[in-house]
Amino acid sequence: MDKTAELLPGTLDMLILKAVSLKPLHGYGVMQRIRQISGDAIEIPQGSLYPALYRLEHHDLIAAEWGQSENNRRAKYYTLTATGRRRLRDETAGWNRLATAIAAALNTTSEQV
Amino acid sequence: MFKRLRSLFRVLTRRRDFEEGMTEELRFHIEQYADELVRSGMSPEKAARHARLEFGSLDSVKGDCREERGLHLFDEFRRELSYAARLLRKTPGFTATALLTLAVCLGANLTIFAVIDSVLLRPLPFREPDRLMTIFNTYPKAGVERDGSSLTNYYERRGHISAFTSLAIYRYGTEIIGEAGLTDREQTMRVSPDFFSTLGLGPAIGRTFTEEETTSETDHVAILSDTFWRQRYNADPNVIGRLVRVNSVPRTVIGVLPPTFHFLSSDARVFLPLASRAEERTPLRRHSGGNVIQMIARLQPGATLAQAQSQIDAHNAMLEADDPQAKMIADAGFRSMVVPLHADHVAAIRPTLLLLQAGAFALLLIGAVNLVNLLLIRASSRVKELAVRQALGASRAYVVSEVVVETTLLTLVGGLLGLAIGAGGIRLLRVLGADHLPLGGRIAFDAQLASVALVAAIIMGIVLAVPIAWFNLRQHLGNALQSESRGGTSSRAAQILRHSFIVSQIALAFMLLAGAGLLGLSLQRAMAVSPGFQSDHVLTGQILLPWADYSEAARLTFVESLMDKMAYLPGVLSAGVVNNVPFSGISGKSAATVVGHALRPGESARGHYSYGVAGDYFRAMGFSLRAGRFLTADDSRRSQRVCVVDDDFARYYWPHASAVGQRLWDSSEAGRDAEAFTVVGVVGGAKQAGLTEEQAQGAIYYPYAFRIGDSVFVAVRTSLPPESLGLALQKVVRQIDSDIPVNDLRSMETRITDSLVARRSPALLAGLFSGIALLLTAIGTYGVLSYAVAHRRREIGLRMALGAQPGQIRSQFFYLSLRLLAGGTILGVIGAWLTGQAMQAVLFHVPALNLAILVGAAFVMGVVSLIACLLPSHRAAQISPMEALAEE
Repeated sequence: MDKTAELLPGTLDMLILKAVSLKPLHGYGVMQRIRQISGDAIEIPQGSLYPALYRLEHHDLIAAEWGQSENNRRAKYYTLTATGRRRLRDETAGWNRLATAIAAALNTTSEQV
Repeated sequence: MFKRLRSLFRVLTRRRDFEEGMTEELRFHIEQYADELVRSGMSPEKAARHARLEFGSLDSVKGDCREERGLHLFDEFRRELSYAARLLRKTPGFTATALLTLAVCLGANLTIFAVIDSVLLRPLPFREPDRLMTIFNTYPKAGVERDGSSLTNYYERRGHISAFTSLAIYRYGTEIIGEAGLTDREQTMRVSPDFFSTLGLGPAIGRTFTEEETTSETDHVAILSDTFWRQRYNADPNVIGRLVRVNSVPRTVIGVLPPTFHFLSSDARVFLPLASRAEERTPLRRHSGGNVIQMIARLQPGATLAQAQSQIDAHNAMLEADDPQAKMIADAGFRSMVVPLHADHVAAIRPTLLLLQAGAFALLLIGAVNLVNLLLIRASSRVKELAVRQALGASRAYVVSEVVVETTLLTLVGGLLGLAIGAGGIRLLRVLGADHLPLGGRIAFDAQLASVALVAAIIMGIVLAVPIAWFNLRQHLGNALQSESRGGTSSRAAQILRHSFIVSQIALAFMLLAGAGLLGLSLQRAMAVSPGFQSDHVLTGQILLPWADYSEAARLTFVESLMDKMAYLPGVLSAGVVNNVPFSGISGKSAATVVGHALRPGESARGHYSYGVAGDYFRAMGFSLRAGRFLTADDSRRSQRVCVVDDDFARYYWPHASAVGQRLWDSSEAGRDAEAFTVVGVVGGAKQAGLTEEQAQGAIYYPYAFRIGDSVFVAVRTSLPPESLGLALQKVVRQIDSDIPVNDLRSMETRITDSLVARRSPALLAGLFSGIALLLTAIGTYGVLSYAVAHRRREIGLRMALGAQPGQIRSQFFYLSLRLLAGGTILGVIGAWLTGQAMQAVLFHVPALNLAILVGAAFVMGVVSLIACLLPSHRAAQISPMEALAEE
């Protein structure tokens, strides 16, 4: 039984923002972090990670800076910008509202109708 | 949005950094992943391969990343650009023709537009310049269309016309300025105190003139122009209070104007108060403006020109109520006209400039049509290539954008070349006299003009792309692909389009040709007009005698000793002096009253050219004597009140009697009997202001002693080439007074030639335009016919194999071009008629439709089109049936 969950459209950006909000990360680190914080449940398709990072940077939600990696290699580190922080807060709230509503809807039993 | 643009801009400007960074980042990712796989127990080689495979195609990820940054559009654009550039390089003949056509057409338009822009469009450099008006008096029934304003007008009007915030007067002049021995004659303006406030631009340093400084006792002040201040005072910031000598009288500098101050076309360097005596401001002098003093006014915000005009009319009517001359003034049709200052200043040149712009635009149209035709031909030779690419998935948007990129690249490069041609064209216009146009000094080639030209080039590129894109899109893929190497089926619509383009091109070129012909004929007719005297072998020059140094008596002595000395110069046949020589560019008329002449109803005292002459002026100028005698040196002494009138004058007042012995006063009213002048001779009438002067206004010549002014012209008839006498003349004048130069030394023939510059230069330009138009039309016709021949090679080969003679083939193409020529000419004649109608304002004695010009234009058009069709039809006749059919 596959334990990874299907990534919903639009949620990748939110997850990336969340990942880099904890600590500056390079692209590979973002992938690892998402896997880690989702309890290995979410595996990002590697091909779509970088276009998403470039898009977020283009929209000024994250900022990139070259730095030194753990194994002393040059790597591009992404951090959350102020705009990104605001966006993450809004999206988290929106997502929670949606998730609560959907959970409530799905948990409805016939007696409650 | 702004941030995104900035991010895009940053990436575009550092594109290499972006690409390298992206490659490095992705490589890092894959290697990290491989390391992780190795740690989990995979062999390094296997891990590397696995990591790469799992990541997917590097190129497609990179492509997605670029797309997220909005870079793909630029990449595509760059690809299309380099594709277009490659295509253009592959067809150098086409590209060179197209670029040259564009460069010439855009350059010609840019040149004329530069003039239109600086003369007609760019506002005057004052605050709210469209509120500035000029007001002048007109007496149309007395033959005086324009007479400036009088001092009286100014003092009576200011403060009384509520539609104006302020009102001012000015007069142009020249004064001798500087310390003794270092004097220069400088352009000056005398202005009323409110002149600068009316314009809304006053001195940058110091103050303007005050009301107290408007009398000749108190006017010892001056305001300097910026250039004068810089050149003479080294831009001294403490110049206020220093002295400047004007006509040897010291004046205090009270202000310096800003560098932006340019009043109309004036080059005035020193501004003085317009001082006057109280008696010059009385109602009696209301109508003695004499076109010397001009009036300007600023409209009140919210007030209209019509309001101002009706207030001026009402004010005039009120003043005329108790004017003893009221009837005469009314009979003369007197009115004071309010007109916008800028428009009035350029009114004379406006129709010519608009006409030239229309001509240049017609040229551009011809060029554009040519290009479209050439591009269409090119497009049809690429039908198959395009069809294949569309079949392979090129989208319609791609097909369109490819065409737009190609045509815009062409027009932009052509536009850049056109900038160079425009810069050269502006220089050419200077040679042709554009500097002397009103506001012509502003004509310049600047960045604003260049950007207008490049924007126009881009727009033209897009417009040119429309028919080509339409042609490309309407091709049916299947047809194009199936028709094999026969070059595609001849598209009927495309052919009609090409032919109608040629027809319109011929029509436009015909119009240009006919227009240039009309201008040329008009110039020729103007040149054929006799000036009324013998203009050959006469040298003339102006001498200005400052009032401060020369009393009336001293002037008389100066003129007499000048005449004495001139008589001894070698080569001088006769010499004379006059206040104002014909064609001097200065004009002024004054009234005269003929003894015994009762004014007819509706007639008023007329303005006539009035001159004072000394020496042997009439012989020097070669006037013909019709009756009586010339004025001689003896008449110059004040003893006798005699005068000579010209034919036109004599005919007007004494149509049935001899003029000799008649008497007149040199004023608008009858004077005392002793003051009347007796006519002693009649001379031939002469053109005064220009050869095309229509109204013979009549002239009166008095002995110089009765009309002493501060300016005289010397006229010398010589047996030598007139210009060779110039130095000798200057030397003679310097012998009398070493401070006095001779200005404006020109032979009479040169003056007449110069007076025609406003007709000659447009005619030359129109001729140049139509020459280019002919060449373009020839290229267009040749291109289209060549294409038709190449396109129908197989058909021609087949017909010849079946027995058609080369002559038949040749005449087939010959008839085609004749048909195109006939269509173009018919449209062209209609266009030429409309052009002629529009040109009436600038034509002299030439009707809108002149048969000789039409026939001439048709002939030239015919010769050019037939030459253009000779080569292609000859080539058609030379086609070998064997080769044409064997090709495949």
